[in-house]
Amino acid sequence: MTSRCILQTALLVYFSTTVLAMNYNLLRFQLSSSSVECQELLLQLNGTSKDCLKDRMNFKIPEEIQKSQKFQKEDIVLVTLEMFQKTSDIFRRNLSSTGWNESIVENLLATLHWQKEHLEEILEDIMQEENVTWDHRTLLHLKRYYLRIVRYLKAKEFSVCAWTIVQAEILRSFFFLDKLTDSLPN
Amino acid sequence: MLWSQNASPLRSRNLCLVVCISLLSGVLSSLPDLSDKSCTFKVTLHNFRVILSWELKNRSIVPDRYTLQYTVISRPDGVKIVEHCSNITASFCDLTDVWEVLPETYAVMVDGFRGNTTLVTCFTDFFLAAEISLEPPEFDIVNFTDHINVNVNFPPVLPKILEELLQFHLSLIIEEQSGEIVKKHNPALDEHVIGNFTYVIDKLLPNTNYCVSVYFMPRNLEAIRRSPIKCTLLQPARDTGLSESARIGGIITMFLIAAVFISTIIILKRVGYICLRNNFPKVLNFNNLSAWVVPEMPPWEAVAFVEVIHINRKKKEWNYNYDDESDSNDEATAPLTSTGGYTKHGLLTGLPGPTSASSPTGQDCLELDTEEPNLSEPKGEPPMAPEPSLGRGKLLQDCFFEDGSSTEEAGDKIVFNVNLSSVFVSTLDDDVSTLDDDSDVPPVLPSFPEEDSHTPEPSFLATSREGTQQPFPTPSAECPWPEDVLSDKRDSSEPNVDIGDGYIMR
Repeated sequence: MTSRCILQTALLVYFSTTVLAMNYNLLRFQLSSSSVECQELLLQLNGTSKDCLKDRMNFKIPEEIQKSQKFQKEDIVLVTLEMFQKTSDIFRRNLSSTGWNESIVENLLATLHWQKEHLEEILEDIMQEENVTWDHRTLLHLKRYYLRIVRYLKAKEFSVCAWTIVQAEILRSFFFLDKLTDSLPN
Repeated sequence: MLWSQNASPLRSRNLCLVVCISLLSGVLSSLPDLSDKSCTFKVTLHNFRVILSWELKNRSIVPDRYTLQYTVISRPDGVKIVEHCSNITASFCDLTDVWEVLPETYAVMVDGFRGNTTLVTCFTDFFLAAEISLEPPEFDIVNFTDHINVNVNFPPVLPKILEELLQFHLSLIIEEQSGEIVKKHNPALDEHVIGNFTYVIDKLLPNTNYCVSVYFMPRNLEAIRRSPIKCTLLQPARDTGLSESARIGGIITMFLIAAVFISTIIILKRVGYICLRNNFPKVLNFNNLSAWVVPEMPPWEAVAFVEVIHINRKKKEWNYNYDDESDSNDEATAPLTSTGGYTKHGLLTGLPGPTSASSPTGQDCLELDTEEPNLSEPKGEPPMAPEPSLGRGKLLQDCFFEDGSSTEEAGDKIVFNVNLSSVFVSTLDDDVSTLDDDSDVPPVLPSFPEEDSHTPEPSFLATSREGTQQPFPTPSAECPWPEDVLSDKRDSSEPNVDIGDGYIMR
């Protein structure tokens, strides 16, 4: 009887681990695909920085994100969710001065929204099943980073040069996000 | 005429406009092209070097030298002049050691000069990680019998931007093609790979043509630029027989066949489909029949076959008529003694008389009675074993059972073994002597305790045959004994033989 219980428990743990491993592999693939797609959409937004060099600003992306610091998988999910969420909030603001193709912007927002919804579901599962100690410091730094971007846009009155600078900054942030998701464990 | 007068001013006006436009376009064309679309820029990874190249769209403008400047968008840094790309005649610049950050948007300005005149100024900005074009590396192949070595020449020192490229952004793919079959190999590269990198494509077929191509695959799966294909014909195998792989495959196949065959035989044997079992249980083993021979009884347990003759007599009625010598009893009663609770059963002994198939008659019984004295043995001798009297005993039984009452036929005899060593046997000599005294009293017959003189005692034998078993059989049969024969000698004669104290134990 005891040996049977032990065997069943071992099988349950093994297959649970296998299922969870498969979920993180799938998440990694999804996040990478979403990040690449967002970068391509951002590159399709026309514009030049030739006359906007004077409007450049260092938004100071958190070093933890820039240097691809080792995070636990739960923090990676939380950080990527925050980045998708904030990017979506930024591109929902006043884009009238940019002259950008609206369909490209809508596709960008749709991709961001889909990935955000998926990450929220995964985060809920993580919070229910596991006792996780979150990295609140990194999350705070990330919130401040996106707040600086929003304040910059407001200060520049959502000018075309401001959006060009922000476009380049968001493109750079997606590169770091892609590196971050690549560090998800198997 | 009027139209002609008005036409001449119009013609001159139009002519002036055309001339002005032509002159203006000519002037404009001669001016330096300052638009952003003047040049086409391209950044490539060529032979592990980051090369920025440009090309003027207006081919009529041919500067004799170029100067390259750049800046980054992520920081409000100043524009930097690339020293080794200033006043160059080539339309490309090696920025491997200048640009060290891959995820960066670089703003580039190229000025084209002729003499001291700036003919063209080109500007562009591009995100290096997404827009760098990866050219395939240079490689060599060395063919063998069943494998090919692919050598990729990496630089002795990797630039920093290349480290970041190899670490994250791109992967090396080696394609192997034979006929229409294409296989892709993805060797693992790290940021520390330097010098000659050799990858072995093994498990190839000898004397077969293979083509190899090498290229980098970017992470964003942008356009892939394959290298020129290099083909080679593998050397033929030295052995004309089967290759090693085919030999191993044959051995494995034979092993599997043998395993399947053996397992099938084992299963059929276990099921019992073949090689039926003949190992019967031990209890069904009759080979040692000698063991089943009924053992002989121990010699000390001698058994004698004795035929018990039962007589069912009516209880004697006491006749107080002493004048009559004849016994009113029609039946001969066996002397009955009861001593201490024991019931004595007498057994008739005597010479074996003639056996007759028919039921004995009264004459036979009388004759039998007369023969009785001859059977008497010397008194001093113990009573003999009743073996010789088997036939007589039988006859007696027939006599006694002839009355046709509830007695059994002569054939309904019970034969049982009596262990004489455990049975007290009394001699019947006294009884016989009493018989000699002119008495027709039959010899001592098995008696039974008196209970009711009026009720004939039931046939014990009948009871026995019904299944009950009595330890001491009692006479039950009646026999038509002549009344004159029977006499109650016990009334007048000597008392019955009281052998309560005189049991002879054999």
